[in-house]
Amino acid sequence: MTTGKSSSFVFVVDDDAAIRSSLQFLIGTVGLQVETFESTESFLRRDLPDGASCLILDVRLHGRSGLDFQHELAARGIHIPIIFITGHGDIPMSVRAMKGGAIEFLTKPFRDQDLLDAISVAMEKDRARREQERDVKETQGRFDSLSPREQEVVSLVVSGMLNKQIADALGTAENTVKVHRSRAMEKMQAQSLADLVRMIEKLKDRAGKAL
Amino acid sequence: MSEKKAAAIKPEHDVAQRTAELAATNDQLRELASRRSAEADLRSSEENYRLLVETASDAIVSIDDKGSIVFANPAIATVFGYAPTELIGKPLTHLMPEYMRRLHEGGFARYLATGQRHINWQGTELTALRKNGEEFPVEISFGELTRDGHKIFTGFLRDISKRKQAEVALRTAMDERTRISAFREEIGIALSRQEDLKGILHDCAGAIVRHLDAAFARIWTIGSDGRELELQASAGKYTRLDGPHSRIPVGQHKIGLIAQERRPHLTNDVQNDPRVSDKDWAQQEKMVAFAGYPLVLEDRLVGVMGMFSQKPLSESTVEALSFAAGIIAQGIERKRTEEALRRSEAFLAEGQRLGQIGSYSWRVTTDEIKWSNELYRIYEFEFGVPVTLDLIRTRVHPQDLSLYERMVEEARSGGHDFEWQFRLLMPDRSIKHMHAVAHSTRDLDGEVEYIAVIQDITERRQAQEALERSRSELAQVSKLTNMGEMAASIAHEVNQPLTAVTNNGNACLRLLANHNLEPDVLRRALEEIVADGTRASAVIARIRAFLKKAPLEWSDLDVNEVIYETLALASHEIQNRGAVAECRLTKTLPHIRADRIQLQQVLLNLIMNGVEAMTGVTDRPHILWIRSGLKESGHVLVEVRDSGTGLGSEADRLFTPFFTTKTKGMGMGLSISRSLVEAHGGRLWASSNTPQGATFSFTLPVAEEVFS
Repeated sequence: MTTGKSSSFVFVVDDDAAIRSSLQFLIGTVGLQVETFESTESFLRRDLPDGASCLILDVRLHGRSGLDFQHELAARGIHIPIIFITGHGDIPMSVRAMKGGAIEFLTKPFRDQDLLDAISVAMEKDRARREQERDVKETQGRFDSLSPREQEVVSLVVSGMLNKQIADALGTAENTVKVHRSRAMEKMQAQSLADLVRMIEKLKDRAGKAL
Repeated sequence: MSEKKAAAIKPEHDVAQRTAELAATNDQLRELASRRSAEADLRSSEENYRLLVETASDAIVSIDDKGSIVFANPAIATVFGYAPTELIGKPLTHLMPEYMRRLHEGGFARYLATGQRHINWQGTELTALRKNGEEFPVEISFGELTRDGHKIFTGFLRDISKRKQAEVALRTAMDERTRISAFREEIGIALSRQEDLKGILHDCAGAIVRHLDAAFARIWTIGSDGRELELQASAGKYTRLDGPHSRIPVGQHKIGLIAQERRPHLTNDVQNDPRVSDKDWAQQEKMVAFAGYPLVLEDRLVGVMGMFSQKPLSESTVEALSFAAGIIAQGIERKRTEEALRRSEAFLAEGQRLGQIGSYSWRVTTDEIKWSNELYRIYEFEFGVPVTLDLIRTRVHPQDLSLYERMVEEARSGGHDFEWQFRLLMPDRSIKHMHAVAHSTRDLDGEVEYIAVIQDITERRQAQEALERSRSELAQVSKLTNMGEMAASIAHEVNQPLTAVTNNGNACLRLLANHNLEPDVLRRALEEIVADGTRASAVIARIRAFLKKAPLEWSDLDVNEVIYETLALASHEIQNRGAVAECRLTKTLPHIRADRIQLQQVLLNLIMNGVEAMTGVTDRPHILWIRSGLKESGHVLVEVRDSGTGLGSEADRLFTPFFTTKTKGMGMGLSISRSLVEAHGGRLWASSNTPQGATFSFTLPVAEEVFS
């Protein structure tokens, strides 16, 4: 919980000022930065920070349901972990929240430790997600730095083809393929063929997710 | 006709008298004749004889053995029209019609030759001939004597034409009487037959034709509107019912006029009768007489009968027709009444079947019960089985038995009208719902008799119950929904500040544990805690205020009236659960000041609790007693007492919210009821009865005390 403290936040969206204030006080006692919002609209207006963050969201808000807002965030590609709090929860509500990827569903008044534990889990999850995202982004940057011919060769290499076969497919000499291949390995910072395959798979995976 | 009539009046007596006279004279003459033949030589009697012969009213003629008249007495002039001297020397045949003369001559000659008589000599009836050529019947007796070697025959001839006429008249009268009595008998039989009206009237018309010399006879009945006669029967020469005479407007033609005038129309001279329109037809058919009679019963015209005859109407025919008109009118009326009755009975039976309604009568003193067919069907009793109260009892649902007994008891005690609903438990364990309405009457002996109608309302009841079930389920659901929503709202409203308090408290504790709690921070936290606590209580106060918001409508009420209103609301439910509500209300109670609806809610709650407490009870009647009275404290007291399962050990918790002994109860009824009563300045409490059941009582202050 110390990583990137300057840019790490616990966001609270609750239409009740006393709840907002008391949560800010409580969460602040464990050294986390807390920012509170009285509505989902004001929360959306804020640029989200780079550091690990999570959202404490009241289920019943003026004008809209916290559960609907959870869907809206997912649709916008905002992957912040959510902890729901509610004055009166029921099972269908909590099931829906958890299916939507919520970290926890707490009924007011809740034990402070339960909330803090949930925040901890949420921050850890968000940090892991962010690291993975950053990793993929770097790999993508290296892949993007390859020349078009080198990208072609990499694609064929990871599909399991031999240099000779690649040369035939591209209509070039086997030696030329070998040169492209070693350049690409170097640019991708791949230690082995297996390393390269894993990197490309990660990129494909991300592209698939984006779809 | 006047002669005939005269003859017909006392013919028997006449004939008998004349016959007796004749017989006496005959005897005298016979005796005289025999004496003369025996004492032919007694000259002394000659004078006696002469005197007798001279003064006799019968003709006496003597002939010799040549057949010539030798003597005729003076009476011959009155009988035959001849002077006695005119006949002397004339043959006896002179006094006979032509066709008898040879017969006489032959017989006379044979007798003289053989001594054989061709006729009876004593009292023989023969036809004689008067001087004026008129033939007439005579009764003849002969005597024979021989004087101076010559046979002398002396005959006594009596004119019996009057006697004959009387005899004919008598025979005619006898025939007529036989005919008339046969006619009457036939009419009587016809009218008592189990036939329809047309058939009966057809037989009557036939009897008129057969026995009263009618060429044809017709009978019309008056239509229901009283304006038209409808031909019902036609017998004799014409039998069609659909001809031009099938419908005759009252007041038109001779038949319609008879109906209008209500007087018979009779004629023996149809050719000259102004009302007979078709004279050509009458002449052609040789119709002589017409008789038409209105058929009237107690001033009401029921029809007309008429006949044409080729013979004149005799007095007795007229009498017979007049008699027939009377009884045919009665017959038509009776038949119509019977048919109307049968029709209405058929309608009733059909109506009962369609409506699943049965009826019965019950004579209270004798317990004699008459049961309609439909009731047999509804109760599934074997048709014709004598119905008794005990038999009916076997069908009454066990839970309604006490109700049944009470109804019977009350019915016995006095004649009021009743209306009640009860159930039948059929042999196949199915339940039928019945609705009965009984009307009390007095029979001819002045005894109480109930006429009751019972309807099988099972289907209606089932539909109603289904409807009510869905309705009360709906109400329950909406109540629960409201309660749920309210509870959720309360939870949310109160949870918010509570959560804030908890969070603030926890935060302080954490800082305290880290020795990091600065006074400023603590003060701010405590301020928030106090604010949130205040807020929480404000929420609760708001909810209370909201609950109290329903405006009360205070008015001066008669508590008994409210009890009756509430019972009316609950009556269906009470009966449905097999209970009976009994009121023991104190009359002329002072009014109370209360909200009618809330008071009804309290009563309804107590009544339904009582009824429900008895549902499981099987060993005693489910009677709910409701009592009202006045307490010294200036309060009106209402008690609702049941004979149910009682309060048991839970008595203390009864008024706690959400406490319930019922599977479907909310546990709010009594607690709300108590709040309502207390809001009215009264008290509500419960107590156990001995040996069983519970009593819920509440008091309400009387109006004067509340607002003066």
